[in-house]
Amino acid sequence: MNQSSLQSFLRRNPYLFTLLLLVVAIFFNFQFQDNLFEANVVNRNMRVLLPTMLLTVGQAIVIIGGGIDLSVGTMVSMINAILVTRILPDSTSSEIALGFFLACGAGILAGMFNGLCVAYLRLQPVVTTYATSFVFSGIALAILPRPAGQIPRPLTDFYRNPQLGIPTAVYIIILLLIFWVLLRSTRYGQFLFATGSKANAAYTTGVPVVRIRFSTYVWSGLFAAFAAIALTLLSGSGDPRLGDDMTLPTIVAVVLGGTRLSGGQGGIAGPLMGVAILTVIGNIISFANIDSWYQDLVNALIIIIALAGPGIVRLIRRLIGR
Amino acid sequence: MDVSLSAQHIVKRYGGVVALADGNLNVASGEVVALLGANGSGKSTLSKIITGVVSPNEGSLLIDGRPTTLSSPQIAKKLGITAVYQELSLIPDMTVSENIWLTHEPLRGKSLIKNREVRARTQELLNLFSGTFKSLAPDIPVKMLPPDERQIVEILKALSTQPRLIILDEATASLDTQQVNRLFDLVADWKSRGMAIVFVSHRMEEIFRVADRATVLRSGRSVGDIPMSDATRESLVELMIEGASTPRNIAIDSVKSDAPVRLSVEKLTTSVLKNIAFELRDGELLGLGGLHGQGQSDLLLTLFGDIPHTGKIILSQKPVNFTHPRQAMDNQVAFVPGDRATEGLLLIRSILENLQLPSWANFGTPLNINRARAESQNTAQSLNVVMASLDAPVSSLSGGNAQKIVIGKWMSRNPKLLLLNDPTKGVDVGAKGEFYNLLAQLQQQGTAILFYSSDDDELLGLCNRVLVLHDGEITAELSGGDLTHANLVSASMGTQQENNV
Repeated sequence: MNQSSLQSFLRRNPYLFTLLLLVVAIFFNFQFQDNLFEANVVNRNMRVLLPTMLLTVGQAIVIIGGGIDLSVGTMVSMINAILVTRILPDSTSSEIALGFFLACGAGILAGMFNGLCVAYLRLQPVVTTYATSFVFSGIALAILPRPAGQIPRPLTDFYRNPQLGIPTAVYIIILLLIFWVLLRSTRYGQFLFATGSKANAAYTTGVPVVRIRFSTYVWSGLFAAFAAIALTLLSGSGDPRLGDDMTLPTIVAVVLGGTRLSGGQGGIAGPLMGVAILTVIGNIISFANIDSWYQDLVNALIIIIALAGPGIVRLIRRLIGR
Repeated sequence: MDVSLSAQHIVKRYGGVVALADGNLNVASGEVVALLGANGSGKSTLSKIITGVVSPNEGSLLIDGRPTTLSSPQIAKKLGITAVYQELSLIPDMTVSENIWLTHEPLRGKSLIKNREVRARTQELLNLFSGTFKSLAPDIPVKMLPPDERQIVEILKALSTQPRLIILDEATASLDTQQVNRLFDLVADWKSRGMAIVFVSHRMEEIFRVADRATVLRSGRSVGDIPMSDATRESLVELMIEGASTPRNIAIDSVKSDAPVRLSVEKLTTSVLKNIAFELRDGELLGLGGLHGQGQSDLLLTLFGDIPHTGKIILSQKPVNFTHPRQAMDNQVAFVPGDRATEGLLLIRSILENLQLPSWANFGTPLNINRARAESQNTAQSLNVVMASLDAPVSSLSGGNAQKIVIGKWMSRNPKLLLLNDPTKGVDVGAKGEFYNLLAQLQQQGTAILFYSSDDDELLGLCNRVLVLHDGEITAELSGGDLTHANLVSASMGTQQENNV
């Protein structure tokens, strides 16, 4: 009985393993970087983490719903280009608000385009979003052919500096967790998991499967807009390739967070920790004087180990005959 | 609460295949109508049309006397029509209560789910079946449950929508006797409260127990609508299978006691099984009986090298310890799984590929496709498979024909020991008859067969000897005069005093 309640606890909280991994990673990071827990270092790490975290929330929703979105990175690039061409150093606050509004609108539209192709036209998510990622990249380059632009200082300062002594990112993360708890306790949340777990059964039960699939990509687009806003405030300028490399880390983070790639299971607490793990590993690599080229290799190895972990355990068990 | 449904001259085509040519069904409040027909006769299609899962090409559907178009399951549900499906409609990753209330969760305000109420009402529903299950609880994920308990969840899920009309599509197929009895008590209760019930089953006994009227389908057409008081088993079967009825079973009592022992098991123990011991001779059909999930499937899988064990297994006079099904196959052991859709077949691949899957090694490199094709054609013919061509996907076959493919793929390997895991579950009368013939043929060739069936009549009619399992142990061995229905049932329930071995 005791063991089975432990098992069910682990089943309900699959991110415990992720948490353990995060603690270990932070421990090693601390070995190489002894000022890791100083306030300004924490703040710097948090503000770098946040854009990928926001992007990962969208990715997690799509993956839980049974899809995948390979276009989130270039969506960020596109929205960054829109932001820096709309918000200039001398913009009034209403112009700035309009800029943010347009950014969110662009994200939602891009997500709707993905959702239309995948849910209504029933195209393969991987191929579709790989293709649309080039569409978004093209739009980014059309709007902003080369790195340029400057965001007003007060805005970037607001994002970069702590508020009331706590990094701005922390507030946002708390909001994200509240958002998730609410979503999880709505009918929509049930439909999302049902669709990702077994779409046919969900359809037969009366779940609007197509609409749910469509909506996951819209969420992903909206969170790409949030990520782009955060990243733009962090960098203070525009670059048509700014977000291109962010796609793979979001997927790695989702997997690290204990969310199955085939959908229907998981949450966002795990993937958020997954992003933190990736950043900490990046830190370790740079402070241990390992060539930064190895970063991608390490990310790839992590995803393979995370995916293969349970299988390896089973294989070993089988080989030793029990 | 009063409801009436009338489906008239329904036609449904899938591409060139006519699934339903002239489907008719009438049902009203306080009535249980049995929908009968061989596999592929269009029963499932007709039920799916009534519940809005599939839309018909022609024909009309009258609900409460008004012509109605059901364009989706949601709309049918709003009209109070729901079904308990044969292919389960449950979400494996979600819990029992999440599954039951999916799409009609009790809400606080517009969107927040009232979790406490969901759990309480789930518990109330579970109480309807209390005492007939082991692990069911509101917070257990469905994927952790055995098939019979999943079926109960499926039934409760349909019930939770407070339907006016409920379709039970093979709902009893994976339930044990006690659970079926409870379900029938519930059906009687629903009936008295004015619900309309459509009951689809292959178990004739159940139809006579529960139905008021039977509608019979044959090759997509309604061929009869008769009150049960006028019906006999033979008359219904005759309507279903056109022409003479297939003999229900073939008893072979010619097991030579001097036939060599093919399989001998001693002290076989796994996490489920306890101290299993028996012998099986060539040409013998040994039955495994008992309630569901008492270790029958585990025993078969253990013998097939899929579950680690302790104890002795002696196959063909040699002690063996298989750690992988491949090794069992190499020793001429074949296993026919119970769940053909997930364990027995590659549904989207062709009939040819499925038939030859265990045997490709016999066709050289590169594969001699023409020879494989010729051999498959022979196998398919000898099994009487009704198919478009060898290249058609297995998913295009009806249940009975698909099951023939599962067995057919082992035939060409000439197995010496055949393990059958409830092979006729959800298979119609006609196909069952052919299947029994096939078993008899194999027996004559000297194949030793270990046969688990959830259908007591099947065990009684086919086997010379039946081992009854209860909680992982053999509690009775019945043969000859002891092999009676009463003994089988009482041994299944674990009542020891009846056990006169």
